Amino acid sequence: MPGKGYHLATWFRLTPALLGLLVFVLVGAASLAALLRFSQFESWSGYLHNIYLWRVVRFSLWQALLSSVLSLLIAVPVASCLTHRQFKGRGVLLQLFAVSMVVPTIVAILGIVVVYGHSGWLHALFGVETPLYGLLGILLAHVFFNMPLAVRLLLQSYGLVPSGQWRLASQLGFSRWTAFRLIEWSYIKKALPGAFVLIFMLCFSSFSVVLSLGGGPKSSTLEVAIYQALRFDFDLNKASFLSLLQVSICSLVALMVYRFAPANQQDVSLLDARLYPLKDSILALFGDCLAMALAVFLVIPPFLAIFDPIFSVTFYQTLMADATWQAVWVSLKIAIPAALLSLFLGGCFGVLARMTMDRGRLAFLSSKIEQLGSMILMVPGLVLATGLFLWLRSIGLSSLSGYWVVVWVNAVMALPFVLRALMPVLYQQEKRFRNLYTSLGIHGANRLVIEWPLIRKSVSQAFGYAVLLSLGDMGVIALFGSQGLVSLPLYLFQLIGSYRLQEGSCIAVILICLCLLLFYLSVRFIGGKTHVKY
Amino acid sequence: MNKSFVLASLVAGALSSLSASATAQTLNVYTYDSFASKWGPGPAVKANFEKECGCTLNFVSVDSSVGILSRVQLEGSSSNADVVLGLDLNLMHKAEKTGLLAKSGVDTSKVTLPGGWHDPVFVPFDHGYFAFVYNADKLKTPLTSLKDIVDNQHLRVIYEDPRTSTPGLGLLLWMKSVYGDKAAEAWATLAKHTVTVSKNWSDAYSLFLKGEGDVVLSYTTSPAYHIMEEGVTKYKAAPASEGYYPQVEVAAMMKHAPHPKLAKEFMAFILTPGFQSTVATGNWMLPVIKLPEGLPKAFASRQRPTKVLTLPAAEVASHRAQWTNEWLEATTR
Repeated sequence: MPGKGYHLATWFRLTPALLGLLVFVLVGAASLAALLRFSQFESWSGYLHNIYLWRVVRFSLWQALLSSVLSLLIAVPVASCLTHRQFKGRGVLLQLFAVSMVVPTIVAILGIVVVYGHSGWLHALFGVETPLYGLLGILLAHVFFNMPLAVRLLLQSYGLVPSGQWRLASQLGFSRWTAFRLIEWSYIKKALPGAFVLIFMLCFSSFSVVLSLGGGPKSSTLEVAIYQALRFDFDLNKASFLSLLQVSICSLVALMVYRFAPANQQDVSLLDARLYPLKDSILALFGDCLAMALAVFLVIPPFLAIFDPIFSVTFYQTLMADATWQAVWVSLKIAIPAALLSLFLGGCFGVLARMTMDRGRLAFLSSKIEQLGSMILMVPGLVLATGLFLWLRSIGLSSLSGYWVVVWVNAVMALPFVLRALMPVLYQQEKRFRNLYTSLGIHGANRLVIEWPLIRKSVSQAFGYAVLLSLGDMGVIALFGSQGLVSLPLYLFQLIGSYRLQEGSCIAVILICLCLLLFYLSVRFIGGKTHVKY
Repeated sequence: MNKSFVLASLVAGALSSLSASATAQTLNVYTYDSFASKWGPGPAVKANFEKECGCTLNFVSVDSSVGILSRVQLEGSSSNADVVLGLDLNLMHKAEKTGLLAKSGVDTSKVTLPGGWHDPVFVPFDHGYFAFVYNADKLKTPLTSLKDIVDNQHLRVIYEDPRTSTPGLGLLLWMKSVYGDKAAEAWATLAKHTVTVSKNWSDAYSLFLKGEGDVVLSYTTSPAYHIMEEGVTKYKAAPASEGYYPQVEVAAMMKHAPHPKLAKEFMAFILTPGFQSTVATGNWMLPVIKLPEGLPKAFASRQRPTKVLTLPAAEVASHRAQWTNEWLEATTR
């Protein structure tokens, strides 16, 4: 039994991580408080009686529920298929899946419109006119953004299945379905609640997609109302009411989901992550083909539409323009520090969460810490940025450059994704090494050195996601944007905003290519050459 | 070692690009980003003004015209802004009420806007008229009025949300001034053949260009862009026999401007050819004074308003929420 002294020393070693967490909480709380200072609570009950508001809430909930359930329903078989089958183009597909989430909304909307719209390919080729504008359009777009994300998250939990189990399954002649039921499901079901909440929140606060493809004000989300209050009416009181409402609803949903979620029990697995071939059957092949066809059909055509301008003269001209490369540079200047910061914060959260895991009375903290990091998604970026802006001004730091505010906000916005990628593997290492560490007295950075080969793949994913999200960010940078800070998405927005849709589409292609490249580099250099092998 | 060097140079680069506004002789003008972008009027305005004033003109760009106002409201009296450029007619009332703006002292008698210009605070810098734009190759039956667009059930219409965009608000007021008390019914009729109501002008216009709608709410000057920049003549603005609703973009000087003298100079400069000659092909809007050289040829074919409808600013300010709700009720019925 470790004595009291041991505990103190342990906590002392956790200081950096605690500080990281503290800064995160303090900045968040201060920003929220700065916004809430403008609230007049007596007017809030009036807002609560607005019929339209509740219609909006109901619609937001409904479309977010449908979008996330659909995304997950498709993602589960697709992830299983991608785990068990190797085929040409698998790597490319996985890369595309990584970037679909950060395609700028207007670009994705146009991609979907080109495929399914009135003058779209589907109509031209098969004469099928899809009733795109309405719930269908919203779902198509949300599945396009989030199903690939879900696949990647699920693939990560597949990576946690110990090879011993696959070997056994192979020896016992398990069919794919039996293996799924007996092995895969127990890993997937741990990832599902987290993935559901993540996607649910992304869809709940979706804005442009819902307005543009929703076909009118019947389809609207709370985010629209928040934007209106904050930007158009500059009604900070109403904006803070609506943000709190959004946070409450999302928290409620998250609480409900986590209640039914299995407790976070990580398995100690063998170090080898090798996969053994399972018995194949016509039925399994058919199921795989069906799932893959569906996924490919939903994701690839819009991408093709987006990449359409690649052979045009305009694309070549855009590629040669100085402004393009300036925007690339600004994007990198924001995305890389933001991703590093996000990774650092994720590390702080991760270290604290794994320390408290299975530690008697502290055990409940581990999931709470993890959820705290994800909470940030419930708060709209614009609200976060506005609050931060107000707070910095109130403490006399208004001259603090917009650059750092953008970096910070991007870093915290990426945190939920970083945590999703990091936590499973961190918990696993803790479970595996805790006793060893304790008995050998290994602490701090030394643990990182030992674990690095095992966690680097997840770290690379986390970093990659953080870079991608910061690269694709539009909302925050728009509020703080100044002449020197035109990132690629902002440049794209400017181009489309002044009739230059063609050039804008070319910038979108460049942005996506940059995302692909950075994600590849991140996986290649941080993640190492291949899977970890021993 | 190497990595920290890269990071340090990244940071240094970031800081140097942002501290340009720190020197004394720099006039800070807050504007929306398509004005300041390289193809907007910004660069030419900057060059022309700097020739006259011997100072540096720095544009700080925000995402939209409403963004400018909320930005200075956020910054309050500690704002670095000398001039805000890019508010519009419907934001004037609200902007003035913030108490952050000063009287311009500019002689606006040269302004050629219908009805002239008599505001002591705001100086107009360009104007345009809202109009529905269509593709003449696809739409053979000519449209002649706003009523045509509202009533024609075969017409697929795209417009902007009045809650989030200025053209959307413009349409709201246009409909109100044409239909008055019957506006709700007109909105309900329009809703039946509306494809979608988008967040902003960019989304709406992009969807239109991709062929999703027959008409889109834009400006009478939009076709001029396609003629001049793309050599495409098929895009036309539909005439409106009831009259057009104008958009006038204005600038104002900040009360706490760090450089009041320069700001005053700039406000006066707005109504000179050095500024006005840039708005037609930069912003695709119309100048507010008579230019000696006139407008480029592509603008000759634009719809000219026979009648201009304008609701008084005070009435707009006090009824905007109510009219927005009326629109919302009618379109979600």
